[in-house]
Amino acid sequence: MEKIISVQNLRKAYKKETAVENVCFELMPGNIMGLLGTNGAGKTTTLKMITNLCSKDKGKIVIDNVSLDSNPGLALSKVGAALDTPSFYQELTARENIECFAHLYKNIPNAQVMELLEYVGLKNQAEKKVKKFSLGMKQRLALARAMLGQPKLIILDEPANGLDPQGQINLYRLICNMAKEKNTTFIVSSHQLHDMEKFCTDILILDKGKSILQGKTEDILSETTNIVDCILEETKAAENVLSQCQGISLVSQKGNQFTIRLENICFDEFIRKLVVNHLHIRYISIRKNSLQDLFLKLTEGQNHVSIN
Amino acid sequence: MYPLTKLYAREMYRQKLIYVFFACFFTASFFYAFFISTPQMEEMLNINIGIVGRENFPEFMMRFYVGTVGILFNVFLLTLFICEEDRNKMIYQPLLHGESRSRIIQSKIYVSVSMSMIFVLLTAFINYTTAFMRWGCEIFELTAVTRTVTKYLLSCLYMSVITLGIIALCVCTRNAWKTIFFVIIYMLIDSFIYSSNILFLQKIWVGYYLNLCTFSYEYQKMPLKETLPGIFVMVLYGFIFYRTSLCRTQKIDF
Repeated sequence: MEKIISVQNLRKAYKKETAVENVCFELMPGNIMGLLGTNGAGKTTTLKMITNLCSKDKGKIVIDNVSLDSNPGLALSKVGAALDTPSFYQELTARENIECFAHLYKNIPNAQVMELLEYVGLKNQAEKKVKKFSLGMKQRLALARAMLGQPKLIILDEPANGLDPQGQINLYRLICNMAKEKNTTFIVSSHQLHDMEKFCTDILILDKGKSILQGKTEDILSETTNIVDCILEETKAAENVLSQCQGISLVSQKGNQFTIRLENICFDEFIRKLVVNHLHIRYISIRKNSLQDLFLKLTEGQNHVSIN
Repeated sequence: MYPLTKLYAREMYRQKLIYVFFACFFTASFFYAFFISTPQMEEMLNINIGIVGRENFPEFMMRFYVGTVGILFNVFLLTLFICEEDRNKMIYQPLLHGESRSRIIQSKIYVSVSMSMIFVLLTAFINYTTAFMRWGCEIFELTAVTRTVTKYLLSCLYMSVITLGIIALCVCTRNAWKTIFFVIIYMLIDSFIYSSNILFLQKIWVGYYLNLCTFSYEYQKMPLKETLPGIFVMVLYGFIFYRTSLCRTQKIDF
């Protein structure tokens, strides 16, 4: 299968500050890539370079076998995007707004505009002025606008911002359906790690402009370690024992509540160590390392406490 | 016409500010035509209605629009049209739908320049209408009409160049207030240069020829030896502003 997008050695610096450094990834049709990172990690800059809104200092972007440098018009005709906070002509209705942009394409009949609005669940609000829309409705309208011209790649920058939980679920469901039904590829930047873990096929985590983790979501999560949440009596003694315990790392501590990552030690052995050291366990549970744990581990380098 | 130009034209003419402004301008022109010519007002304002009225009235009113009001109106409208759209992240939306940066700025320029010309012609129409309502057919004296129409056409060219300059400022500063500030500075420099005796600076200054037309040759025909260099300088400035806007747009990181 042909790659929909290939990004090689992307770099962008603003004066002395490097915003993006050596970012590379490739996506196939139907893939959904979650672009994660803390604020200022370089997610939006990366997306803006892909959509040519921002110049790049170095690197190569190929979209559906067309280089963005040699033929930006053709390359971008295969891309739909909703970046930043959704912006529209406030005095126009949802339908008129989409029609305005539909006129920029050659063969988009007005009926297709209504189909798009129906697809994003805004058919009943089509004649309502955008200034009366909630943020969630604007996000969906932005998605409808990004879908104009049936792009092979859709780029969404924090599309779940400002949405209520139900709205977020609906949006992610919509993205998944499009990826499955229309084989559309998505790049979605977000802070909703829990949701990204569920619906993204690929993950790319950026930190200070650099790619610190990337790959298939299932591969990333299968390689991860176990996390133990426990409440131990005698905080001081527990801290001493845990600091001397080999093969674990402390993720976080709040009073006598500890979150511990099991690196080279199994759960039974860990419990045995606690018991042998006469620590009274009030509560203990084990869970798989989530994307959020992994993200925190990778991006909170300075705050991360390691006790090996 | 590009679909994008149509989109921008619709967007521009949806601005309620335009209709409010021209309603005010019509009212002002009407009041000037009717009340300024009363003997009491003539005496109070120390003007000679024999000079500013009748066939000269449209030219008398032209300077109000082209000199200051029109420029300020244009700068407010264009900052809404470019800087505010940039701030609202709307300006780059066509880029995400297959349009190029050049086409976006060219479409903005086509709409803005044609708008500035239409506005000058509209002020001419308003002034002739109110003058006709006040003095009737007396205003249609052939020499005066030819002279006034020529001056309005020269004003059209001048306002187009000023519009291109404002667009270049909007694109370079990407800030509405900075643009307005620089335009006000331009207007101050313009009056300074016109009233100064620095001949070389006057000859290469875009606003000088319009000042000649409206003040030095008020109610007189402007000679060709002044008109032709004026047109040349204005076209040259227009070209420089146009190229600046195009080049700068290519380099913007949105």
